[in-house]
Amino acid sequence: MKGKLAEKATKAAIAVATAMAASIVMFIFFFLFCFSAPLISSWHLGQFLAKSWNPDARIFGIYPMIVGTFYIAGLATIIGAILGVSLAMFIEFVSGSMLARFLAWLVEFMAGIPTVVYGFSALFLLVPLIRESFGDGSGLCILAASMVLALVILPTVTMITLDRLKAVPGNLVMAVKSLGASSLEVLFYVHLPYAWKGIVSAVILGAGRAVGDTMIALMLAGNAVQVPSSILDSARTLTSHIALVTAADYESMSFKVIFVCGLLLFVFSAWNILFLKILGKIKR
Amino acid sequence: MNRLILRILRIFLWFSAITVPVAVMVLVIFIVFKGLPAISLRLIFGDTNPLDALMLKQQVFEGIFPAMVGTFLVVILSVTWAIPLGILSGIYLAEFSGSHLKKFLDFSFDLLASVPSIVIGLFGLTVAIFLHKYLSRQIYPCLLISSISLAVLIVPYIVRTTQLSLDGVSYSTKLAGYSLGASKIQNLFRVVLPSAIHGILGGVILAVGRAAEDTAVIMLTGVVATAGIPGSVFEKFEALPFYIYYISSQYSDKSELLDGFGAAIILLIICGLLFCVAHLLKNVVVKKVYGF
Amino acid sequence: MASEKNTNTDSSGKVVIEGLNVFYRRKCVLEDINLVAQEKNITCIIGPSGCGKSTLLMAINRLLDEIPHARISGEIKVRLEQNGFCNVLKMDDSELPQLRRQIGMVFQHPNILPMSILNNVAFPLKIMGLKGEKAMQKIARALRMVYLWDEVKDRLNSSAIELSGGQKQRLCLARVLVMEPEILLLDEPTSFLDQRLGEKIETLLEHLKKEVTLIVVSHYRDQVKRLADKIYRLG
Repeated sequence: MKGKLAEKATKAAIAVATAMAASIVMFIFFFLFCFSAPLISSWHLGQFLAKSWNPDARIFGIYPMIVGTFYIAGLATIIGAILGVSLAMFIEFVSGSMLARFLAWLVEFMAGIPTVVYGFSALFLLVPLIRESFGDGSGLCILAASMVLALVILPTVTMITLDRLKAVPGNLVMAVKSLGASSLEVLFYVHLPYAWKGIVSAVILGAGRAVGDTMIALMLAGNAVQVPSSILDSARTLTSHIALVTAADYESMSFKVIFVCGLLLFVFSAWNILFLKILGKIKR
Repeated sequence: MNRLILRILRIFLWFSAITVPVAVMVLVIFIVFKGLPAISLRLIFGDTNPLDALMLKQQVFEGIFPAMVGTFLVVILSVTWAIPLGILSGIYLAEFSGSHLKKFLDFSFDLLASVPSIVIGLFGLTVAIFLHKYLSRQIYPCLLISSISLAVLIVPYIVRTTQLSLDGVSYSTKLAGYSLGASKIQNLFRVVLPSAIHGILGGVILAVGRAAEDTAVIMLTGVVATAGIPGSVFEKFEALPFYIYYISSQYSDKSELLDGFGAAIILLIICGLLFCVAHLLKNVVVKKVYGF
Repeated sequence: MASEKNTNTDSSGKVVIEGLNVFYRRKCVLEDINLVAQEKNITCIIGPSGCGKSTLLMAINRLLDEIPHARISGEIKVRLEQNGFCNVLKMDDSELPQLRRQIGMVFQHPNILPMSILNNVAFPLKIMGLKGEKAMQKIARALRMVYLWDEVKDRLNSSAIELSGGQKQRLCLARVLVMEPEILLLDEPTSFLDQRLGEKIETLLEHLKKEVTLIVVSHYRDQVKRLADKIYRLG
């Protein structure tokens, strides 16, 4: 009888813990929504899309940050996706086992390197390099941030892609090869049709990490509030904006606006996850 | 034609296989090269006697000792909150949930995992403001708030690794327990969990690494540049990653910058060690005998 | 399903199965099974591989409950000393551990637990809260019954994973015997044993028949002929 009671208590503890953990994300959404809802309803949408941020003049446009996020994360995703997917293909197809094992190990190790260390190193190595190569400016720019951010998201892309490539059945490869297909044809007719969904989700998850990362853009992109016109311009992301504004007063308008930034980032994450779920449902 | 494409593709794959390791190596070696001269007891303890500092007899002002202690404390606290929540949720997902509920739970943990860390920091800050307004004027962003926010950040990692490790226990092992008259809970604690413990532990250690390196969450929830060693969980604290960021933006002279490089090496070593332990645990073949 | 050899057909059996259907997702794995196993008899079930013999055994101690997407309908009545004659499928989930102790099962593939040899056999006793000298006596007795004691008595604390297939199979049998069940469900109990040991285990089963009702799945014709009081053919 005592055992049964203990069992019921354990089950209840498990259920309660799960309910708590699963409701965290709803709490986050709730808080973000509550703080930004009054602004969204009372404000004209155009005010968010104003091209400058000037609290003294009561202009709180976050359009430059949206564009900055789009450029930095977009470029990082493109570089990270190309390098990441081809690194996974290299590990699977080209290299001998020793090199493949080293690269697989390195990619896992990269996932463990603190982003702030990446940022610190690049700030004193890559940024001066860019400054000297391109002459004008401080070197703090979209290009610097994107290049390093690409390295940050690369492990995500490579590990998932590699996982999907490895899941391609070996006998299928053998069957196609025995019909006289070249290795390129095997890649295009066996691996890509089999693994494309996995590769797409790897890139989407990588893009999600690129948009969500704070430190790299904060340290390397210069944080100027402007709509950038080239990749050598300084820019500010939504995440850096949140990090930079909070130093101010809690009651101020600028502080309230960063909840809109937070809500935008949250909605983007939710959309990403929904997209991945839908992608998972598609039959090949 | 075909062979040309193949050749181009091959060259491209080699290109990325060389570029990526070289880029990572250059960035890491640069840190090590620059920071190595700074590595000394002085970097950590400044002018204070190390023994006095360790015994907390004397505050360290010049060195990064308070930042190391701060990181240690905030990580330990956050893992303390996250482990019970994460492991129990993982157990629920793997062993108890029906398929409809499971879909919903899967979605909420996937979503939580993808929420940017700065947004989680913002959430922690809001909670602190909320508590300050409605519970006690004494509550500000502090060690406690930071550790809770970091726990939110790492819970999904622990949930997922727990769930995957439990799913990985073979059906024949699970059925063996049931066929010998074990109840669901007995089977869970005596058969399934011991078989999955390596995977779960590996996940927890990866989560520790994630908590130790994250900067965005703590910078909104209570970390500051100089605070010394916090006397309680309601005080502000210092942390290594924030110290590195702070130096990068605010350094005034060469020697401060050098300290930043040194701190970066130390953070790199801590995260590298955690990574290696997690890696080893993952690869341990379950040959060990579990007595209970 | 046809019964080939009948000794006793009255319906006062130890295990009576009527109109049993088992579905896995939408696929029907077992359809309209009827079976009577007399008390203290050996009932053998034969049939081609994949016809659901193992599934039938797992239905009797409701182990199928633990397999996702499996559904059972029909009646499985079991006459147990404590509960009397009752329908297993109507039992509450909380009664299942007790039921499975009374209806022991040995799987076709020896599924030892990832623990020491001793702890494998001690497991069902620990679950019941039985420890110490009394438990040790039962364990030693069970290991002797399956002729494993001499082989493992010096390394009881080493991992059971290192045992050979035949040793594992006998360990699983010993692990069930310590529970002293009323009914034993055996799935190919000698498949990993050489002929000499196989015959020894057969003798053990003959001996167990005095106390226990056995239901045995086997594909060895000779074994079935030697052991069975009644034979059911499946599929």
